[in-house]
Amino acid sequence: MKIAILPLSFLLAVGLWLAAAQPWVTGGWPLPPFHAASLSFEHILLAYGHMPRGIIALLVGALLGLSGALLQIVLRNPIADPSTLGISAGAQLALVAVTVLAPEWLAWGRWPIAMFGAMAALAIVMGIGAARAFHPVTMVIAGMLVALFASSFAAALTLAQGQYLFSLVVWNGGSLVQTGWGPTLTLIAALFVGGIGAALLARPLSVLGLAAETARSLGLNVAWVRGLAVLLACGLAASVSATVGLVAFVGLAAPAIARALGARKPAQVLWMAPIAGALLLSVCDGLVLTIAGAGGEMFPTGAVTGLIGGPLLLWLLPRLRATPPPAHSDALPRRQRPALMLWVLAVFSIVLLAILVMVGRLPDGWALLDRESLALFLPNRLPRLIGAASAGGLLALSGAILQRLTANPLASPEVLGVSGGAAMGYAGLLFLTAAPTALQLTLGATVGGALALALITLCVLGRNARPERLLLAGVAVSSLAASVLSLLMAAGTMKSFAILAWLSGSASALTGTGAGALAALLIGLTIAALFLGRWLAILPLGPEVARALGIPVRLATVAMVLLAGLATGAATILVGPLSFVGLMAPHLARHLGFARATDHLLGSMLIGVLLMLAADFGARMASFPYDLPLGLFASLLGAPWLIRLLLRRPA
Amino acid sequence: MCGALASLALPARADTPRVAAIDWAMLETAMALGIVPVAACELIRFRADAVTPDLPQSVVDLGLRSAPNFELLQLTRPTLILSSPWYGYIEPRLSAIAPVFSQTFYFADKDPWQKSIEALHGLAGQLGIPETANQVEAAALAELAQMRETLAPFRDRPVYITQIGDPRHFRAFGADSMFGAVLSLLGLTNAWDGSTEYSFAAPVPLERLAPKPDARIIAVSGIPAVAEQGLRNSVLWNRLEPVAQGRFATIGNINPFGGLPAGLRFARLLTNALTQGHAG
Repeated sequence: MKIAILPLSFLLAVGLWLAAAQPWVTGGWPLPPFHAASLSFEHILLAYGHMPRGIIALLVGALLGLSGALLQIVLRNPIADPSTLGISAGAQLALVAVTVLAPEWLAWGRWPIAMFGAMAALAIVMGIGAARAFHPVTMVIAGMLVALFASSFAAALTLAQGQYLFSLVVWNGGSLVQTGWGPTLTLIAALFVGGIGAALLARPLSVLGLAAETARSLGLNVAWVRGLAVLLACGLAASVSATVGLVAFVGLAAPAIARALGARKPAQVLWMAPIAGALLLSVCDGLVLTIAGAGGEMFPTGAVTGLIGGPLLLWLLPRLRATPPPAHSDALPRRQRPALMLWVLAVFSIVLLAILVMVGRLPDGWALLDRESLALFLPNRLPRLIGAASAGGLLALSGAILQRLTANPLASPEVLGVSGGAAMGYAGLLFLTAAPTALQLTLGATVGGALALALITLCVLGRNARPERLLLAGVAVSSLAASVLSLLMAAGTMKSFAILAWLSGSASALTGTGAGALAALLIGLTIAALFLGRWLAILPLGPEVARALGIPVRLATVAMVLLAGLATGAATILVGPLSFVGLMAPHLARHLGFARATDHLLGSMLIGVLLMLAADFGARMASFPYDLPLGLFASLLGAPWLIRLLLRRPA
Repeated sequence: MCGALASLALPARADTPRVAAIDWAMLETAMALGIVPVAACELIRFRADAVTPDLPQSVVDLGLRSAPNFELLQLTRPTLILSSPWYGYIEPRLSAIAPVFSQTFYFADKDPWQKSIEALHGLAGQLGIPETANQVEAAALAELAQMRETLAPFRDRPVYITQIGDPRHFRAFGADSMFGAVLSLLGLTNAWDGSTEYSFAAPVPLERLAPKPDARIIAVSGIPAVAEQGLRNSVLWNRLEPVAQGRFATIGNINPFGGLPAGLRFARLLTNALTQGHAG
């Protein structure tokens, strides 16, 4: 009976579409074949605008649904889709890069460009996944990190053109507005090819579902089937990116709907998911049209579907297999005297801080400041250096706690969702009140971050809660925040610019008091974390072991999450929503041989301080006198190295 | 270091204010008053996007508007810093360097042209040259009045002021924008009834240009390379009455959120385009 929802939603979509067409159908409907010259303007709007739009919504939904279904079946991962695996973001980055750097290439067609970007992103995510047995949550976090990096790289490209304000909004969702039939015909061709490919792959994929060994004994080339299916999924997603842009999370929702409607076998999912996707996107687009028709804001449909992603991921949480990620390798070096190394790091941080206070760049070259200019500059420079160093330390501390707590090497503050919550709080206050004061806005950001933190804490408190659910809940909140922000940006009002300014220029607003508070918080939280060090050493061994050793598991987990969340929230205000420092520093610390929990925390914290000091220097010097956003620069520096590290197979 | 300091920081004389501009509209306003700032922000983009007023090479580029280089700003030893509430969050740090003069140009339900005149007088008062502001305002109004007369034959049709984003979307300038305000000063009707819609991804679909088929369409900043081919082939675009009947023209780059000089630049470029028959 549940299946009745499909025809019902089809009727709803058609109804909304027809209602939106009302202003133009006074003279009846134009019938194909269309001859532009002989049609009235109302009929032009219908024939070349509204009709292709209705069809393209179905096509895009179907393509994404098919792509998502293929990925979920091949990877046996119910949360895989072109957006969670970073494929769409890769395609989008390639398109933004070409638009900014070589717009003349666009004349050759957008599809090859999008396909190249999508494949590159997929290759990285698959590489990271392959080293970790394609663990579902790990794959999605890798995909999210690739997507975050892609969007920050796109921002940097726009920034390099001097389009400063716009550099932060390049990530808007795709619009389904049409002015002709070209894109529709392209996507019909893509769906045709994709449909044939999926039909051919359906049987081998069902056999694969049994087990790789069985499949092999049945004479199946497992690697080929997997490779072809993933490639097909990638091509379908790239064709959507090339024609309409970023349409988030439809590929995630469609197979989930198909399964909820009773599809079990791969072949069933493969034919039901495109239908579900097509109807889902049509209904979404119908709602967008209705809102626009009622005189509301014009939102790009792709950004609206982004709103589905967060709640959907939370809903899918309990359905995930309870597999722990592959265990940490212990092949990494274990330092005999970690205390010595910690002292070396601490002294090095202080020396670096002192050097950076002294060195400066002027329009005509580099200079070591003399006493007089030092006195002049210190009130400006010292807060920024201390603020950056503290933020780096806080993020690294948070990352180290999360990585140990979840036993997942990809856990990091970037995916915790606290910064996303803070941004939503800020934006919410800005849009709800007429003229908020600075204090009100800071309060809004704090409340937003706290709410996100509470939501995530609730997720870990639930029955049978596993730490990996924490990560996924974080990803869900982050993606919700990202889509809300991109919707607000798409509205393009003056208030959008106010949010942009906050998201980008917050480092320049830092005063001495703020930097001091951040440093004090770093010291306080480090001490707190060290007190909890024993818990952190035992919790990753599993709740049973921990309980046996007399640890209050729930309390300990909540305390850890709160600590990490507080550190992230405070640091985010300075460096923006991402930096990769929180992900990188704990890995570096581990490679330096800090094995014990407390050593690892301290080592990570100090390395975070060093990394952020270096990033701050780079951000100020790279394009002097144009200061780059601190977090953006840090992630551009760190991400390639991080990806190389993660691609290595754990021993 | 001392050499560098000396070259940037000329001895400050009491009668010549050393002005540093964070905000572009304020930078334009200062230039209109005949005050050349010692430093200003994002000059690479300003010279490309705002084009006029022409800034001498001696003006030091301070970097980004939202995150200016404070050390460089300090080195230029300003006696007055021009900002706007957009950059309110860095005002404490700015005012630690020099007194800050800040005034809104763009605010909900306010006429930006009036605001720019207010800013002109406010700044002139701050600099102790109120008479200059009166002269600048009178000259601007006289020029506008003259253009209004020239444009009298063009009052027959309303005008859409747009900026093309991609082959399917544009940005729209309503009555709450500088362009909209100047348009009404020139005696022309704005064909766009709604408020300004402006963001990176141009938010408004092309079909929203259809409701007034008798209008003219003006595209500020030309047609971007990304949109050129798509627009040429677009059935919808080519069937828009104004486009089909040659009532479409592009004009040069203008700072859409500028001050009085940006408003005047728009008026001049528009008058030029219309009187030369580029838009029917």
